[in-house]
Amino acid sequence: MRSMEMNGTEMMQAKTKKRWSDSTWARVGLYTLTRLTALFFTVVVAIYLTILIANMGGAMDDIRTSMIRENISMAMSMDPEMRQLSSGERNVMIQDAIRIEIARLGLDQPFPLRSVRYLSNALLLDLGRAEYLTSDAGSRQVKLIILERLPPTLLLFATSNLLLFFITLFAALFLSRRYGSTLDKIVVALAPTSAAPSWFYGIFLILLFAGIWGVLPFGGMVGAPPPPTTWAYSLSVLRHLILPVMALTLAALFLQIYSWRTFFLIYSSEDYVEMAKAKGLSSSAIERRYILRPTLPTILTSFTLGLITMWMGGVVTETIFNWPGLGSLIYAAATMPDTPVVVGSVVIYAYLLAASVFVLDIMYAVVDPRVKVGGGSRS
Amino acid sequence: MFADRRCFLGFALALAVFLSLPLGLAAEERMGAWVDEVTMVKEPSTATAISRLLVGELDIYSDGIANPEDFQRILESPDLTHSMAYGLYNELTFNPVGPVWDNGELNPFALKAVRQALNWLLDRDYIAEEIFGGMAVPKYMPLTSAFPDYARLADVARKLELEYAHDPVRAEAAIEAEMEALGAVKIDGTWHYNDEPVVIKILARVEDERVEIADYLGDLLQGIGFEIETDYKTGAEASPIWMSADPAEGLFHVYTGAWITTLVSRDQAGNFAFFYTDLGLATPLWQAYDPTEEFYDLADRLDRNVFSTMDERRDMMAQALELAMEDSQRVWLVDQVSAFPRAADISVAADLAAGTTGAWLWALTLRRNEEIGGSVNIGLMNVLVDPWNPLGGSNWSFDQMPIRATRDVGAVPDPFTGLYHAQRAERGELTVKEGLPVDVTLDWVDLEFAEEILVPRDAWIDWDAAEQTFITIEEKLEQDTVSFLDEALTKEWNFGRDEDGPTLTANRKSVVYYPEDLFDVVKWHDGSPLSMADIVMGIILGFDRGQPESAYFDEAVVSSLRSYLNSMRGIRIVSTDPVIIEFYSELYGLDAEQYIATFFPSYAYGPGAWHTLALGLGAEANEEAAFSSSKAGQLEVEWISYVAGPTLDILAQYLDGSYIPYEDVLSQYMAEGEVEERFENLRSWYEDKGHLWVGTGPFYLERGYPVEGIVHLKRNPDFPDPADKWAIFDEPMVAELDAYGPGRVTIGTEAVFDVHVSFDDEPYALEHMDEIKYLLFDSAAEIVHVGTAEPVEDGLWQIVLPDELTGTLGVGANRIEVIAAPIVVSIPSFATVTFVTVE
Repeated sequence: MRSMEMNGTEMMQAKTKKRWSDSTWARVGLYTLTRLTALFFTVVVAIYLTILIANMGGAMDDIRTSMIRENISMAMSMDPEMRQLSSGERNVMIQDAIRIEIARLGLDQPFPLRSVRYLSNALLLDLGRAEYLTSDAGSRQVKLIILERLPPTLLLFATSNLLLFFITLFAALFLSRRYGSTLDKIVVALAPTSAAPSWFYGIFLILLFAGIWGVLPFGGMVGAPPPPTTWAYSLSVLRHLILPVMALTLAALFLQIYSWRTFFLIYSSEDYVEMAKAKGLSSSAIERRYILRPTLPTILTSFTLGLITMWMGGVVTETIFNWPGLGSLIYAAATMPDTPVVVGSVVIYAYLLAASVFVLDIMYAVVDPRVKVGGGSRS
Repeated sequence: MFADRRCFLGFALALAVFLSLPLGLAAEERMGAWVDEVTMVKEPSTATAISRLLVGELDIYSDGIANPEDFQRILESPDLTHSMAYGLYNELTFNPVGPVWDNGELNPFALKAVRQALNWLLDRDYIAEEIFGGMAVPKYMPLTSAFPDYARLADVARKLELEYAHDPVRAEAAIEAEMEALGAVKIDGTWHYNDEPVVIKILARVEDERVEIADYLGDLLQGIGFEIETDYKTGAEASPIWMSADPAEGLFHVYTGAWITTLVSRDQAGNFAFFYTDLGLATPLWQAYDPTEEFYDLADRLDRNVFSTMDERRDMMAQALELAMEDSQRVWLVDQVSAFPRAADISVAADLAAGTTGAWLWALTLRRNEEIGGSVNIGLMNVLVDPWNPLGGSNWSFDQMPIRATRDVGAVPDPFTGLYHAQRAERGELTVKEGLPVDVTLDWVDLEFAEEILVPRDAWIDWDAAEQTFITIEEKLEQDTVSFLDEALTKEWNFGRDEDGPTLTANRKSVVYYPEDLFDVVKWHDGSPLSMADIVMGIILGFDRGQPESAYFDEAVVSSLRSYLNSMRGIRIVSTDPVIIEFYSELYGLDAEQYIATFFPSYAYGPGAWHTLALGLGAEANEEAAFSSSKAGQLEVEWISYVAGPTLDILAQYLDGSYIPYEDVLSQYMAEGEVEERFENLRSWYEDKGHLWVGTGPFYLERGYPVEGIVHLKRNPDFPDPADKWAIFDEPMVAELDAYGPGRVTIGTEAVFDVHVSFDDEPYALEHMDEIKYLLFDSAAEIVHVGTAEPVEDGLWQIVLPDELTGTLGVGANRIEVIAAPIVVSIPSFATVTFVTVE
């Protein structure tokens, strides 16, 4: 559906452009410019909406201010030396402390003004400083807070996504050739098991492997205390990776195989595939040239978008396995709330998504001879 | 043959003795912590934590378990045990404005009679048993039932608890009378005011059991004719409504409040002023409180310790409790109970308010069975949450727990009573002005009273941040007499005169004495011996960072400096070897032990050697990083962490020892070569451990793993105290009480009842018991007498009801409630005995 829409857009663009230039470079350049401009505006709108939503259109200022007043008043009123002061003197000090904190968070400036500054900073990837959260290592820079959590998330989700992608792809190809076999029926029957989320599997896996059999750890990223050598550390991480990866993979495995297998079945029944079979081509050649090739854009899209969704991590799965990833960070930031961290993670996600869409547009042209960048489609 | 056997036995015996010798010696000579290593890991799920405890992956979970199902799992396992903590409590906060708000709506809770009636309407037993699943005990008044003030006033409390016991009929009648007086009418069972139904807005917090409390309250109020509108909010969402908004706007009637105490509080007299008067907080809600003049005056005087004796205080407290119940600006519901679980073979001190997480002595009492050495794994809700630095670092309880293991202190709080014991300090002397209600319990402090306490003119009263010198009272008087006197008069400081001239007076003088070998036996973890410069550095920092002229000025410190200067009257170093320091102040409290100023270099957020602090101060002076979060935010630099993160590289730049803060003053207190030796030690430490967190505690930080959420501590072999120093804090000595006596008493004859007091089936020593009181109830359940039991011997007390007392009783069943208030633990114990009076 998406590729159809793009093809339609590209056709219109191509008609317009042919009038002033037929040069491939000019065509690609213009297409690139138009596409990037559109994507940029999409990103701007998405980020500004995020800023507005995360700040409840400025209403969050009241909540923040009130929380500051509450926390400082409580803390200072409990101080025995403060209690020696007259209530007037104490109130002056409390108001001073509140003023300092309000200024630190920039709440002394009107929200509309701040929202524009947030936007411009975000677009320049200046993610600024967190309000409350610090990185685990102690930094207040949003960039460092996010970067610190990126490797664990990438490790967990890249492993499970890659595993899932390749297992499901090849299993689906295999099953598409054995439509109606016992194995095929079993997979179809198991597909609804994916209705349960990964954390549901996680709880069971923890119960079995850690609670009852005691062969794998309950959670965390590494044993405690962490092994001193790199090898031992890596092995410990791998051991801790097993259960969350299993949970993430199991949760989507059968449904994804079922989806791909159905998708491949449709392509397997195309006339040109039947013709290839009639010609006596080998199964692998048919799969490679006649099934995989035309389905590549879809596979690429699925793979790329799958990679990008890793950015947000998995809030519940990471929490269940006590995995120090981006999901739990974003959850903490949203509940606290620490707006700069929420906005920062959305900014990067928005840029990644826009870049992926742009790269996919180019990739379609590379892998699918029917698609021509900026020049409409040949079908 | 026999000779051979004897020879063999003799050899075997000798070998056994020889082999056991090192073990025995080791047990005798074990210094510092019992265990060699502690690993603390982040485990945010209490259910998973219990599973990990059950399989032996964790030895302690240092977070309160309040969920009844989880607690049941702990109880059912023979491999687990637990400590109880009582620091959390719940209440209902009312909007006091009205009875008619600006919007025309009715607020019945503006009337104290209606608020008071809620005490009878609510069934606190139901809340404790059903809503909290038994993990709470009913609470009627602003005293925590596990803290000393409740034990001191147990008889008064019991009386009030009976008076305000669940009585819904009385509640409804009282509310009905008040509503009718307001002009409200009940139509079809619903209260109406100005032809509109009376709607009660309940502001309910959603994070915990307060949702169920709100629903329960709503059901009760609905049952007596009110319409209910419950607004479910998170803490952040509720704050602008109950804390910041003007209560006259009528945004809520009732708010479901909850409070926490993180240390056993020995003096809760300030609770009346805080919870019931505008002295509490400068927020609109508190400013709307309008108690009776009598209650306000009493609360204010209790808050400021305006009384002369403990007996006078007791009477005032008893009166305040009665007035608080009448006022009922807050209706107290329950004291929550939470369990801190651990493996059954682990012993560790746990604070009665904050469990193992809040216990200062956890690291020094931690042990597995009778073993020496080994390792212990502790699970925490979170760890390494914020940067660790001693002046403005992480204040999370999860971080403070490992930090406490790495620090030592001059005096340390008793986890069961909150009283301070001498730790590094050897002894203390406290002199207070005559007539002030101060008492002493422990023998490390000598308490004296004086008619007048003159501050020596050479005592330091301030610090010149520009000139980097201390200012004595004499200098202040001579150099800047007019402004000093002006300031003193404004703040109502008192003056006296010693042989050299006029000087200040103070309410309290404390003198701390350290042992002669302090600087020989106490070493920082990097191997540097403690020095007087470490102590003086702490005194300077107490003044300097709040002054704008300082290179380390931090706006966030100004208010605490101002309040410190307001009560502080002088510091004088009497001797540097041994260390003896005098401190003069207007601030005092009930217990002398709490008011010995120790000056040990242990700051609010962690330990601080002068040379490690120098690194951070250097970075702050050059605006590369800052100790406090607020200053870091202002400068847009990193918040200093001595454990990990980007500031380590910044701090490491100063490891060459080129930056010495307050050099002119500190150098007077340094040994020769101390600067070179210290930085050499610190460089080696940094190379070896990869961090700069250095303390003098029983454990050192081997390494912190922030992303992984792990803290690895190892035993400090140089810690100077024997490992069994605090063995008394393994378990709180909560008294077990049994009362026996004659089942039948003839009216007009003497009756004697025995009260058996024990702990772990051993008689409870008389010296450990403060007093045992009793309340005598007659057959109409009215209190007819309050008395004290007489001590007989360890574990045995007697209640004697004289013939004239039994003569006042009628025929029927009577009851004696016995209340024991121990000294060594703040939790009182109760027992009941019944008897029948006959003619």
